[in-house]
Formats: sequence, C-alpha cells, structure tokens
Amino acid sequence: MAKNPEEEATDRADRTDPMDRTDRADRTVLAGRPASGSAVSERPRARHLTAHLLVVAWLLPAIVAAAGRDELPVARWLAVHLFLLGAATTAVLVWSEHFAVALLHARAPARWGSDARIAGVNAAAAGILAGVWADRPVLTGAACLLLVTAVGAHLVTLVRLGRGALGGRLAPVVGFYRAAAGALIAGAVLGWLLATGVAGPRWYAGLRSAHVHVTLLGWIGLPVLGTLFMLWPTVLGVRMSGPTTRVARRVLALTVTGLLVAVTALVAGWRPGAVAGIAGYAAGVGLAAVLFARTVRVRRPVSSAAAGMLAAATGWLCVAVVVDLVLLCVRPPDEVRDDAGSLGAVLLVGFVAQVLAGALTYLLPVVLAHGPGERGALRAVLEWGWPWRLALLNAGVAAAVLPLPAPLGAVGTVAALAAGAGFVVLAVPVLVRASRARLREGGAREPGSRARRAARRPVLWGTAAGTALVLLGILLANSGARPDPPPAAAGAGGTGTGATRTVAVTLEELRVRPSRIEIVAGTALRLRVTNGDSRRHDLRVAGGGPATPMLATGESHTLDLGRVTGDRTAHCTLPGHRAAGMTLDIDVSATTGSKRDGTEQDGTEQDEDATVEVTGHDGHTADGPDAGAEFSADWRPRSAGLAPAPGGTVHRVELRAGRTRAEVAPSVTQEMWTFGGTAPGPTLRGRVGDVFDITLVNDDTMGHGIDFHAGSLAPDRAMRTLEPGERLRYRFRAERAGAWLYHCSTAPMLQHMANGMYGAVVVDPPGLTQVDHEYVLVSSELYLGTPGSAAQVAKMRRHAPDAWAFNGVAGQYTERPLRVRAGDRVRFWVVAAGPVDPVAFHVVGAVFDTVYKEGVPLLRPDDPGGSQVLDLAPAQGGYVETVFPEAGHYSFVDHDMRRAGAGARGTVEVSE
Amino acid sequence: MDAVGWWSVVRFVHVAGAALWVGGQLALTLVVLPLARHLLAPGAKDLLTAQVGRRFGLLTGVLFLPAQVGTGWALGWHKGVTWASLAEPGYGRTLAAKLGLFALVMLAAAGHGAAHAKGRPALARALAVVSLVASLGVVLLATALPAT
Repeated sequence: MAKNPEEEATDRADRTDPMDRTDRADRTVLAGRPASGSAVSERPRARHLTAHLLVVAWLLPAIVAAAGRDELPVARWLAVHLFLLGAATTAVLVWSEHFAVALLHARAPARWGSDARIAGVNAAAAGILAGVWADRPVLTGAACLLLVTAVGAHLVTLVRLGRGALGGRLAPVVGFYRAAAGALIAGAVLGWLLATGVAGPRWYAGLRSAHVHVTLLGWIGLPVLGTLFMLWPTVLGVRMSGPTTRVARRVLALTVTGLLVAVTALVAGWRPGAVAGIAGYAAGVGLAAVLFARTVRVRRPVSSAAAGMLAAATGWLCVAVVVDLVLLCVRPPDEVRDDAGSLGAVLLVGFVAQVLAGALTYLLPVVLAHGPGERGALRAVLEWGWPWRLALLNAGVAAAVLPLPAPLGAVGTVAALAAGAGFVVLAVPVLVRASRARLREGGAREPGSRARRAARRPVLWGTAAGTALVLLGILLANSGARPDPPPAAAGAGGTGTGATRTVAVTLEELRVRPSRIEIVAGTALRLRVTNGDSRRHDLRVAGGGPATPMLATGESHTLDLGRVTGDRTAHCTLPGHRAAGMTLDIDVSATTGSKRDGTEQDGTEQDEDATVEVTGHDGHTADGPDAGAEFSADWRPRSAGLAPAPGGTVHRVELRAGRTRAEVAPSVTQEMWTFGGTAPGPTLRGRVGDVFDITLVNDDTMGHGIDFHAGSLAPDRAMRTLEPGERLRYRFRAERAGAWLYHCSTAPMLQHMANGMYGAVVVDPPGLTQVDHEYVLVSSELYLGTPGSAAQVAKMRRHAPDAWAFNGVAGQYTERPLRVRAGDRVRFWVVAAGPVDPVAFHVVGAVFDTVYKEGVPLLRPDDPGGSQVLDLAPAQGGYVETVFPEAGHYSFVDHDMRRAGAGARGTVEVSE
Repeated sequence: MDAVGWWSVVRFVHVAGAALWVGGQLALTLVVLPLARHLLAPGAKDLLTAQVGRRFGLLTGVLFLPAQVGTGWALGWHKGVTWASLAEPGYGRTLAAKLGLFALVMLAAAGHGAAHAKGRPALARALAVVSLVASLGVVLLATALPAT
C-alpha cells in the first residue's frame, strides 16, 4: 500500500538535516495542503491573518476586563467569555477546520462558507457578550441561536470533509474536532439557559457546572488534546510514535464518553455519574499524556518555546482534571463555589492561554510567512524572552492556585496576566508585519484597485470620526439621571417621615431575602447586604442607584439609598441571576404623619434607627403571596383534626409565649409571635364544668398576657402583662359551652393577635353527638413583614392583610386536603380570630344540617331548613355539620371571596 | 398669543437655516461633486470644486453662521436657558451636546477649507465628511429637544 504524503514527508525528512526536516514536514501538514510542493498560497494566508487579528482583538479587551474584574460586576464573566468565547473559540474554529482538511487529505471547503462560519461565530460571541452585559435576554437568546447554527454548520463541514476523503494516518484526530463542535452546541444551550434564567434557580448549580465542563473540557479540551497528537511530535521534531493512531482513538472514546456521562449527570444533579464521567475523561487525558511523555527525545526541539508551553499546558490540564475529580468527590456539585477561582485560573491561564500561546508561537510563522527567512524572523519575534514568560506564567498560575497568603496569590494572578499579555504584545507586530506585506503585494499586483481604495479612505475615516462625535454627543445628552419629579417636592413639602431605616438583606440561593421591602415615603433607607450564599453576588439598585461590590461568602456591605420617595428595585448583576429571581422590590407606601401618631399612641416602640431583620417572604406582591409558589419540601400542615375532650375534669396546660419562624404561605417564611410555639396556639378542649388550669410562661423579650374568653373572672390579675421570664397561673371553670377564643391581652393587641397570639378553646355542649370527623378551623389575617415594623403595622392599620388563613397558614388544606369518606358526618368547629375580619364559613357542594353559633343551636338535623354559611364576627365561634353525599373534592372557603382568593380556603377530599 | 407670532419667525429662520445648510452640504457631496468628477476634465473639475467650496464657505460665514447663532441665542433667552442650566440632565445636557457638536461641525468645516487651500485633498475630504455626519447629529439632537 502506498504511504500517504504526510508519512512520506516525515520519512523523507528523517533522512535529512533535523532542523530542516521538521520544517518541511510540518509545512506540508500545517499549511493545509496535502500534496503541495509550492509555497503556501495567498488565500489561506489572508484568512489566517484575518482570523488571528480577530483572536488578538478578543484577547486585548479580555485582559482589560480581567484586570478590572473586582471593580465591575460582570467583568469577571466578561473576561472569561471574551477570552474563551471570543479568542479561543475563533482559534479553535479556524484551526480545527484547517487541520481537518490537512489530516483527512480532503479538499478545502468553500471559502465563503468558512468566512460565513467565522463571521457567524464572532457575531454570535459579540451578541452574547453585549446581551449579557446590557441585560437583554432576547439579544442573548438570538446570539446563542446564531452560535449554535454557526457551530452546527462547522460540525456538518467536518463530517462532510471526512466523506470520500483519502484519510491520513491521523484522521481519528478529526473525531476530536467533531466531538468538540457538539460540545460547544451543548455548551451554548446550557449557557443560554443560565444567562436568561429560563431554567429557574433549582437547576442553576447543575446547569452551570455542566456548562463549565462541557465548554472547557469539551470545546477547548478535546481539540487541543487531538491536535497535540500531531503537533507535539512536530514541535519536538521527532517522528510520531507507532501506536499514536490507536491511542488517539482510545483517548477519543474515553474522553467523549466520560464527558457525555459527566455533563448529563451534572445537569441531573447525580454526583456519582459526574465523578465516573470525569474519571473517564481523566483516564483519557492520562493516556494521552503518557504517550506524549514517551515521545520526548533528548535532542533539541524545533521550537523549544512552543514545546515548553505545550508541555506546561498539558500538565495544567492534567492537574485541573484531577482537582476537579477530587472536588466532585468531596463536595456536592451545587457547593462547588464559583470563587474557587483557582481551578478556573489553572484551566484558563495555565491550560487554554498557554496552549494558545504555545501553538501560535509555532504555527503563526508557518502559515503567515513567505519563505524560510521570514518564517525564522517571525518565529524569533514570537519566541522573544520565552523562558522568562514561561516561568512567569506558570509560577503565577501556581501562586494563584496554591493556598498562599492573599498578596502572593494576587501577585501570581498579575504575573500570569502579564506573561499572557506579553504574548499578545509580541503577536501584534507579527500580524501587523504580515498584513503590511500582504497589502504591499496586493497593491503591487493591482494598482487600479489600490488607487480606488486610497480615494475611499478619507470618506471612511470621515464617516467614522463623524459618527463617533455624534455618539459622544448622544451620550452627553443622555448622561445623568432623568429628573424625577417627586424627590425635591416631597422633601420640601415635609411629607417625608425623617426616619432612617436599616434593613438587613441576605443574598442566598439566587434569592434576595426579603424580596420586598415596604417603607413609608420619605424614609431614608439603608440596606445592610450580606452574601449568605456559597457563590459570589452583588446587589445594585436600578436607575443609577448605589451598588455593592462583588461580595464573597459572608461579606457584607451597606448601601445608602437616601430618602426614598418612589418605588425602587434592586438586583444581582451577575449574568442570569436577575432573571432567575435575584430581585428586591422597595415599595413606598403613602402613609404620612397622622398615622404615625397612632403608632405612638399604641405604645409600640418604633426604633427608627435600629437594624431590623425583615424576615424573608419572597415572591409575594401587594396582592398577597405568590399563588404559583409551592410550599417548601420540609413544610408540614397543621392538623385540623380535633381530638375528643380528654378524661378528667381538670385540664392542666403550660403555655409558653415566644417567637417562632413558620412558613405561613407557600415559600413565605415569617416570624410569628406564638403561644406554645404555634400560631394559632394549641386548641384546648373540655366539657361544661371542667377546670382549665393554665400556666403561662413568658419566654419572649417583650411583655405578653392571656385572655380566655371561655372563663369569667376579673381581668386585673389574670390578664395582666407578664414581663419577660415571668410566670402566671390562670385558672377558670368553663361554665358554658361554645367555641371560644383566647388571645394575648397585652397592648397593642392588634399587633399581638395579628402576629399569631391566639387560639381556640372548645367546650362541648352537653349531649354533643358522635360524628365521624371533627375539625377545628381558626380563621385569621396574615400581615407579612417584620413583626412590629412600621411597614407591617401600617398594613394592619389600613387593614391591608397580605393573606388570610385557616389555622395560620394560607392555603394549607388546599395543599394537603382533609380526607373523609362519602356519607361521613363531619363537624367543623370554626373560631374567628380576626383580629379585624369576620368569617363566612362555607363548604362548596355541601349543605349544613346543623349549626351551632355562640352557644346557641340554630339548626338541627331533623329541622326542615338548611344552612349555607356560618357567619362569625371577630372572636365569635361555633360549629356546623354536614354529610358529604358522594366522592369528590369539596372546597371550604371564607365566602368573602377576597379572603378566599388570598388563602382562606381548603379542600375536603371525599373518597368512596 | 398669535398662532404665528414673531417668535415663530425666529424659530423658522433657525430651522430653515439648518435645513438649508445641511441640505446644501448633502447636495454638494452626493450630487454636484460626484457628477463634476465624472463629467468634467480634471482642470475644470478642480476649478469648480474650489469655486463651489469658496461660495459655500462665504455663505456659511456671512449668512448661515450669524443667523444660527443669533436666532439660537434669542430662542435660548426666550426659553430661559442659563449657562448653569446647560449642565442639568435632560434638556440642558441635550442642548449643551448639540451646541458642542455644532461647534465641532464649524471647526471641521473651517478645517476643510484650510486643508483644501494647503493642497491636502485627503484631509479636506475627510473633514468634509466629518462635518456632514456631525451636522446630521446636530439635527438629531435638535429633534430630541422637547418643543420650545
């Protein structure tokens, strides 16, 4: 069988001078012309020049963004993506097509197609960067689509190149390029999901990890690994070792399978799968590394600079993959922090940047130069000071990675960046020189066109300069905030409260807690922002407001918003975080001075300058909690079932007054003031004549008391306010039957009751019949926000509850229905705890045949009439009975539909 | 107040002056000079170009510039614009940007004349285009100003 031209070239080369030999061999492969003897033609050289000008054009802003990454919130993301999505992607695209043509001995694809793909990828990268920077999800999405299309076309081209091509010995390397294109398509889709927040916060961590892995290890890692099979021996100036083809195939199978498994598992959040996948990938990399190590010979390489950089880069890839594997093993995927920047630094600078620099140091002279002389000159420029740059870069990366004291790490980062910038600085003159030479030649060839171009140039320059001036003018015109009409007027008019409020705000799990702050107009607002998440976040007040710097885990920063007179919003500026829900609404209520006087009469202490914690109640709006939200996984409903009265005539109960956090509506956690740790407090039950012997202990830091409506006694002692730590014994005999309320007796009772200090006492009327199920439902309003805060109290005063509830939690029995069987007789005890609203208790689809209200039996089963609603004023109680006729879902509601629509409802699930 | 009063006349002069000047530039750049290049012999073309430039420059300096500055000043005074108000965001800064850009347009136009006289045609052409593009920008900023 005839040897393919590449092998011939190598064989022939082996018999000649070593230095000359490799140059000839690599030129054959690297210039992308399998069987040529002539010089590299002008066309591909021009394209390479353009492509590498693009690469450098991406690199420069990437370095600038990297330098400013702590000051600008998106800068870190921007630096990474300018570098990887802009520079590295362009390089991979150009070189993978170039090498594919060479290795497959195929005909080069149409020039317009290659140009279109490069243009498409670059336009897409610019679109994605602009879209994320300016927070334009539609632009980001369209650019992602363009990227997928362009890379899809690249993949199709690579596949079509393989069809009918001769195929060289290293044809399997093209498999790496194809797999890489697939990886970038996956990476783009994952990136789009992240940047636009479409997938929601639950999937964020997994998607992010999958995106990072598939792009870094797939799109960048695979082609680099593949190319090294050919480039490494070429740079060293030795023959490819025998088993190269076989090893390349094996490495391809291992890495691609491993990556596929890992990425799928990361998205699904399945750690063992991710570990197994990355282990597979690591095995592939290891296999390749062993082969590369075996290839090394003692003789001097063709390009020591390129060889050194490529070797170091491969080393960092191995290190990064192993560290990644260890991290995946020891930490759950969603805890892998994004400020574990060390791994990122290793991969970005140590691996990608160094591979790029190493490969281009060798390849640029080969593809750009005209003859051996110029090639040598260009190479000399690119290799200038390489041992120093190599040492600086790798020492810098090592310093950034190792757990050294902070200044050393920073110095390392700067050193690595400087070394990287050094290559760019050297590459620019090489490209400029090459393009000058090209222009000179072009001009010499076509004098007419040159003159035309020269005539056009002033027009271009003039248009550019004029447009720039106009843009500057527009920027100046649009600078500064638009004058908001209210601030000055409000301040002068004296409607401001003069109060200062500091609110503690926590950033965690892609949420801002609280997600809404309500303040009185004119309040000077300060936000003490703490990052409680494992990821970095910041918080920026929209409309030119203040912003925190990037906060690492546990860091805090105080934002001073000044007097707030209109609604504001704030959000985290990291890409995708706002879309995923990291927003804060600052809503101004129109409460003014007169109402504040009322607050003072109440005797509440409004500490105007104290830090208050507004407990999280994310997702709710002015219309109440988010109807679409779900209860958290560990939420349990309060049982509505009412047990029969215990035996004995004395019921001893200890009630402790205190504070508890509770999920009072789907995903809304709120601090409540409680008796016995729950709101409502425990339901007490007895018979007429029984004695209730209650011991009240005040565990809270404020005063509380208790008032049992079921007992009759002088309030003076029994209902007095207990100071923190005091105990009180409260004995009463239940002389009369009924459904009674008990509640806190300390002023302001509006607040104490609205915050949860109420409960029910059921005293059975004599002769109460047995029924199949007995439930007790205590109706109440819910006012979200920090208990006792000005905003919450303002809502109580103007009667604007956020929700209504049975047994303290809005909609809990819609989530967990009460379960009975068809034909069962069910008794519902209802007590209206208010503190303001009555209740109109109704069961949809059922008719009450028994009604007992405020001690009076109003309707009995054998009466001809029926009842539809049990109406109770605040603090009244009673019961109704019904028999559910057939299986189905019967809603019970407060028939005031405002309240039913905002939480005062539930379901009775009736089965056969 | 009359629908068409004296202030309408002042504003008319200001707007019409701008329209004529920008329109004149466009007509010269897009119609007259390209045709001259195609149809005339090099010598005649250079003569025409020079004469057109001189006359347009004369009209600009004697009529257009004084009219624009005068009417502009009057309109600003009428609206109560002060130096300090030019720094305020919104109307003030838009007007300031427009004035600044207009000043640059005039500088570019003057530079064009000077470059032409010194025999640097490339620079003269570039400055002419700068002047044209930037004067369109002035019109854009003027339309962005709220009605006076």
